[in-house]
Amino acid sequence: MTGTLYIRGHSPLHRIPAGIKLAALCLFGLALFALDNWIVMGLAAAVSLGLLASTGIDPAQARRQLTGPFIIVAFLMAATALLVDPLLGLAVGLRLMALLVAGYAVTLTTPVSAMLEVIERLFSPLDRIGLVSSAKIALSVSLVFRFIPVLIDQARVIREAQAARGMEKNILALLVPLIVHVLRSADDIAAAIDARGYPPAHGANRGNAHEHT
Amino acid sequence: MSVVRFEQVVVEREGRISLRIPDLVLEERHIAIAGLNGSGKSTLLRLINGLVLPSSGRVTVDGIDVAREPRAVRRRVGFIFQNPDNQIVYPIVSEDIQFGLKNIGVPKAELPLVTAQALKRLGIEHLAERQSHLLSGGEKQLVALAAVLAMAPSTILFDEPTSGLDLRNRNRVRAVLMGLDEQAIVATHDLRLVESFDRMLVLDGGEIVMDDTPVAAIGRYEAHYA
Repeated sequence: MTGTLYIRGHSPLHRIPAGIKLAALCLFGLALFALDNWIVMGLAAAVSLGLLASTGIDPAQARRQLTGPFIIVAFLMAATALLVDPLLGLAVGLRLMALLVAGYAVTLTTPVSAMLEVIERLFSPLDRIGLVSSAKIALSVSLVFRFIPVLIDQARVIREAQAARGMEKNILALLVPLIVHVLRSADDIAAAIDARGYPPAHGANRGNAHEHT
Repeated sequence: MSVVRFEQVVVEREGRISLRIPDLVLEERHIAIAGLNGSGKSTLLRLINGLVLPSSGRVTVDGIDVAREPRAVRRRVGFIFQNPDNQIVYPIVSEDIQFGLKNIGVPKAELPLVTAQALKRLGIEHLAERQSHLLSGGEKQLVALAAVLAMAPSTILFDEPTSGLDLRNRNRVRAVLMGLDEQAIVATHDLRLVESFDRMLVLDGGEIVMDDTPVAAIGRYEAHYA
């Protein structure tokens, strides 16, 4: 499990600004859900696969990372085809695949920091009138990216410790120590963020890091 | 380098005194703080940059009251935590270094250069685009230090910087620490790390019980607490 799927590169998709890519992805998704012709969906899926190929990703890595989501899409496609209509099932499957692959291609070619800047820009009008703090929202999203893999590692360590003591898999026995760990870490992370001068100079007096963690 | 001054400082937690420092001035370049677990080492460090505030008394850095102007103090005083995993908050190394720089208002155009310089100073420029959670413990500790160095503090506080590191990474951190131009105040159990420091304080039960050079203090410390 990785915190971010971004790969460095110089493909055309890498060079497009993050805001344009994300806006295009939104429009692409809306258009896909406004249509239900399987031929159009097939074309859209082909375009998405073309975009993915242009990123220069190692096909084996793409296969590994997309297999899980594709199984879910295949299940939805089969269920719709069997329970409603085969052509509709095909359209659903191709639509989801097109969107999934396009989103994956954008994620591969956009650094987290660039995405966070877009988020900050999006929320900046609300920030200016004092409704939200765009810097806080961006930091919160970043913390999610950063700490999901840390939590997965911690869950593995707890599971191994339990297995070493002969305990069977038990979700509750895993969750309780994991939550305790999260709460302990949250205090340290908040202190570390404070120690690094947060909040930004222009956003002073907007609370402190403890509100995030 | 900064001058850190404690004046009649008392920290109380849950009704009992956890640290009491009547009068203390820290102005040497390398200062060690030793003591058993729970002796107050981390609390003392946290007082210096306002992560913990005194229940009474005053802590100043270059005359700036930490309780009144924590932001001004944190521009002068960086902090390296025991677990670098909790200190690195962005998924990519260069992005994490830029987090602190943005907080102190470094212009966007200067961020890549300042980031590259900080990484180069520690010889870890090859880590710039690596994912933080895939780094080794030693690499994470160096990235955390680079992130603090990038903010150009005059003093850096280290809370057990070598705990959990293997011998090679411990030596690496030690070499970096000794080569710093900035003032370093280090809370640690690793006495080899601090044997060539300028000064060593030993805490016991929240009070300073030894204040000497490491050469003189380490032997007494080991004899008393081993």
